[in-house]
Amino acid sequence: MSHAWRPVAVVFGVILCMMFFRMLFKPSDFKAANGDYKYQYHRVKSEDDWKSFKVKHMGTEFCAECHPDKIEIVKGSGHSTVKCENCHAMFEPSKKGHEKVDLKATKQYLLDIGIDRSRELCKRCHAKISYRPQVVKMIDPNTHNQGIECVNCHDVHRTSFK
Amino acid sequence: MSLSRRDFLRMGFLAVCGTVIPLGSLEILKPEAMASLVHPYSKRKRWAYVVDTTKCVGCGMCVKACKLENEIPFNADVQRTWVERYVQLNSGEVIIDSPRGARYGYTSNDPQGRAVEQDEIAKGFFVPKLCNHCEKPSCVQVCPVGATYATPDGVVLVDRKWCIGCGYCITNCPYFARFFHPVVNTADKCTFCYHRITKGLNPACVQACPFGVRKFGKLNDPDSEVFKIINTERVAVLKPEFGNEPHVFYIGLDHIVR
Repeated sequence: MSHAWRPVAVVFGVILCMMFFRMLFKPSDFKAANGDYKYQYHRVKSEDDWKSFKVKHMGTEFCAECHPDKIEIVKGSGHSTVKCENCHAMFEPSKKGHEKVDLKATKQYLLDIGIDRSRELCKRCHAKISYRPQVVKMIDPNTHNQGIECVNCHDVHRTSFK
Repeated sequence: MSLSRRDFLRMGFLAVCGTVIPLGSLEILKPEAMASLVHPYSKRKRWAYVVDTTKCVGCGMCVKACKLENEIPFNADVQRTWVERYVQLNSGEVIIDSPRGARYGYTSNDPQGRAVEQDEIAKGFFVPKLCNHCEKPSCVQVCPVGATYATPDGVVLVDRKWCIGCGYCITNCPYFARFFHPVVNTADKCTFCYHRITKGLNPACVQACPFGVRKFGKLNDPDSEVFKIINTERVAVLKPEFGNEPHVFYIGLDHIVR
């Protein structure tokens, strides 16, 4: 064999080694779904990983299991399109508190439920910004009873005065 | 030119070999693999999203719901969906901001922290953004390990067990929809709440929106609201010039939206 063929043999050897290692490490369910190698070449079980992710926002129906009266009140109010979890799901650990029932233990419900009485929560929709669509009643937080919590005067569930 | 019988046979044999060998090598490379380079616009049922920006008040409930639902650390400045504010002044200047992705909502008129007078403003509006779940996702093409992919129903996902965190996809998304997850340490992005939509629920952001800004459904399904809107109303997509065929459709887009 001519010496010129030796590097060729080395290259083929390296390629064979790489293919061998690929065979060892590539998951068996690595497939191109629908023959689409460009966009759908993936580990098929990964789809199931995402499907088994836990659902956390259970919606108004879940809250209605224990609080049907509250749901009825909100349904007939101006806040009918606002979901319970919009205001009651807490991201600040200090504000959480669903004291009587431990939702995590009894219902496998994963969000922290609590009551946020701060003006900041109401201002998310009701602070007056001139270019905000006029779909809700808006107030200027700087002139509208500054320093007082909204819930002192407003019944949030009924969207009326207390 | 004279051609001997021997030469004629030899040249004929070479010609046949010459045409057969390329076909054979294509077989080794799998023809369907080559064919996938030419991917026609699909008519299959796939998920799509509609955002009606004319109704958005910028409350940021969608961002909050998304962060809680998908376990994105709330105080980290990364988000799968965010709401941008566009304010154009009478001078023509455009101020764009999205403080903390609007997860605390917009509560005052302070674009980029500037005090803007009421009568200076020509127009202003809010634009919710999220992953566009493109038909030709450029983020998927660049993944060196095949950790990100499009599902057959058109959702672009990241395989958290396979992602090496190189960040090519993050830089290649024209919509800046991807980010590096600070806890999982992989690339992360909107999944259209794949765990919810496969159970018949709406994504968390769609459920959380009190104003009906966000709508979700199957494209080419005549019963879905999304299909009706896209087929009867004037919708637009963001950055169509990239050719990604995004599947988040916007009502009320403006030329100042980027």
